[in-house]
Amino acid sequence: MVKTSSVLGLNARAGLFSYKYNPFVGKKIATSKLKTKKILREAGIPVPDIYAQFKTVRKLNKFDWKKLPSSFALKPNKGLGGEGIIVIKKKTKDGTGWVTTKRTNVTPEDLALHIMDIFEGAFSMRNSPDMAFIEEFVGRHKIFRKFAFRGTPDIRIIVFNKVPVMAMLRLPTKESGGRANLHQGAIAVGIDIVTGITTKAYWKGDYIRHKPGTKRKLHGIKIPNWTKMLEMAVRCQEATGLGYMGADIVLHPERGPMVLELNYLPGLQIQIANAAGLKKRLERVEDLIVHDAEHGVKIAKALFAARFSDRVKAKEGIKTIKAFETIRIRARDKKKVSVGAKIDTGAWRTSISQKLADELGLMEKENILWTKKVKSSLGSEERRVISLTFWLAGRKITTPASVAKRLTLKFPVIIGRKNLKGMLIDPSVSVEEKLEAEEKIKQI
Amino acid sequence: MFKRRVVIVVVFSLATFLSFFISSTVLLAQGNISIPSPTPTELPSPSPEPTPRPDLTQITEETVGPLEKLLREQVVGPAWPLNPIKHAIRGSVDAGVPTNTIVLLLLLPFVAMIIAAARHVVGLRGFGIFLPAALSVVFLSTGPIMGILLFLVIVTFSTLMRIMMRRASIKLQYLPRMALMLWFVVLGVLGILFLAPVVNRPELSNVSIFSVLILVLLAEDFSKVQLGKSAKVAVNLTTETLILALVSYAFLTFEGLQNYALLNPESYLLLVAFANYLLGKYVGLRLAEYWRFRKLITS
Repeated sequence: MVKTSSVLGLNARAGLFSYKYNPFVGKKIATSKLKTKKILREAGIPVPDIYAQFKTVRKLNKFDWKKLPSSFALKPNKGLGGEGIIVIKKKTKDGTGWVTTKRTNVTPEDLALHIMDIFEGAFSMRNSPDMAFIEEFVGRHKIFRKFAFRGTPDIRIIVFNKVPVMAMLRLPTKESGGRANLHQGAIAVGIDIVTGITTKAYWKGDYIRHKPGTKRKLHGIKIPNWTKMLEMAVRCQEATGLGYMGADIVLHPERGPMVLELNYLPGLQIQIANAAGLKKRLERVEDLIVHDAEHGVKIAKALFAARFSDRVKAKEGIKTIKAFETIRIRARDKKKVSVGAKIDTGAWRTSISQKLADELGLMEKENILWTKKVKSSLGSEERRVISLTFWLAGRKITTPASVAKRLTLKFPVIIGRKNLKGMLIDPSVSVEEKLEAEEKIKQI
Repeated sequence: MFKRRVVIVVVFSLATFLSFFISSTVLLAQGNISIPSPTPTELPSPSPEPTPRPDLTQITEETVGPLEKLLREQVVGPAWPLNPIKHAIRGSVDAGVPTNTIVLLLLLPFVAMIIAAARHVVGLRGFGIFLPAALSVVFLSTGPIMGILLFLVIVTFSTLMRIMMRRASIKLQYLPRMALMLWFVVLGVLGILFLAPVVNRPELSNVSIFSVLILVLLAEDFSKVQLGKSAKVAVNLTTETLILALVSYAFLTFEGLQNYALLNPESYLLLVAFANYLLGKYVGLRLAEYWRFRKLITS
């Protein structure tokens, strides 16, 4: 159940985000696939290779089709929604033509005619004249072989203010003719930002659990190189200057993730696939000061964990915890340190004392997610929010935690409601137990 | 896109008029042709001629009367500061500008606003803003039923041509293919017009060249989308365009609105401008999006 106010619609996408945060230059880059490739390559972001570019009819007539390898993709430079793309898988047996992923045969004449159509703008916005290019065919990574029909699946990551806010996997189906485009019938699969594991699949107006016609589960697929992919998406944003955009990333079987194209008006169906509203997430990160890709990814992982992790918790059963618990915190050097914590259902967010955070090395710049002003009875103060990972009652929890300066904090960590899902709190604390807990803290 | 359309309209109309002019003068000079004059059919009813439907784009006694009468009846205060447009309207009507033209012009921004609202609040897309608005004026001229009928004929012809080309596996480049489509469409419309002596419906004989041209534009958009995207998208967009045009047509013929715009042009224009401003600032979900995201909102 998602509130309508947290769902991003077409009006809000344009009015509140795309128009506001995307400068003209960035949009121009994103509109042209060739320009995008050039800019990204200069920024050191991997992209598929280009075999040929066609700008004029003369160049097309002179082109030697025999030079091409047996698999490639012919694309319009400014094509919209995957229109006008022909993907060639292999040569025909007689060697005069090729076989497409749709299993139709094409000859060089067919391709030339298609390129002429592209020149005339048959696939570009407002039918403006266009260029065509031939690109390396990126095959399927073995992890997707069982799930995608013929074509190559891609991963769409929406980035805003250098924070990756939502992601989905697009799986080609028989209906989509091997293309990873939702309008043509591909499956949209939501991805948990924290782990890179798929959560829900949405296809043709319904949530599905299995690949159509098979018993292969679509949730629980772990996408390799996940953190690298997220950082790559953010670096695309830094390279193009687009404030709000979607990056389409494919996983090359050998060379790893590479960026296919960028979109400054990314589709809204990603919300259904993730069963989460985009508007709320965008508003959440709109005012944050994000230093670099790594920082942005860290913020995303602290903020946007998918609900499926709650479901995993529910499966484990409800844990009963005491009002005072010993937790283990992961320090900067990855060591686990035991500290005493108070469970406080009156607080929303978990907080940690500044002294302890300093000792554990958690106050380093790249671990600080953001700083916020808090007004209290003592006036306004700046409070920093850091990324905190700890284990409570056998569960690993990663969460934003605010740093409190209060020195009288007997228990250096207070755990708020936000991290208490699936837990039952036993409020009766005997004097002995309290003493015991305090004793433990002294020992630490 | 808009510019291109306008250019197409101008060029086509010029070419058509030119060819009509040349052919008719040549034929007349040869003396082989007699200009067909509408021969009234013998009707059982006592009325000698079928009464033509009121056409706001043409000047006829029926529509001029009431609007002008309204103008005459209204008592207008001093021109400044509140009534400058009212006085200007009276001046130009006295100088011979048809009241119909003024009313239609005044209603066009309203229709455009309705189309914008349909997109941003309801979620009906259609082919841009110009085409539905122009189409509603076509409906005004030909009547909605005849307009849709003509449109269906045009779309059928263009689709038929496409299927035939595919069957015969003729592959042509984009613009020649489009030109050939127009060739077919004109043939189809001419066929309809040739039916006029047989069917003898006043709407048919009243069809003006501009109506046909605007319908051809719509057909061109239809087949462009059909080519670039899919037949389903093309049918959807076209249906939406027709719905928008019908709604606009309803507003254009709504007497209360006509009267209000004519009698209070200042406040009417300001209201429309303000509504457009509000629409431009609206960032909430469109009605269609509540349906699109129903799984998200209710699950």
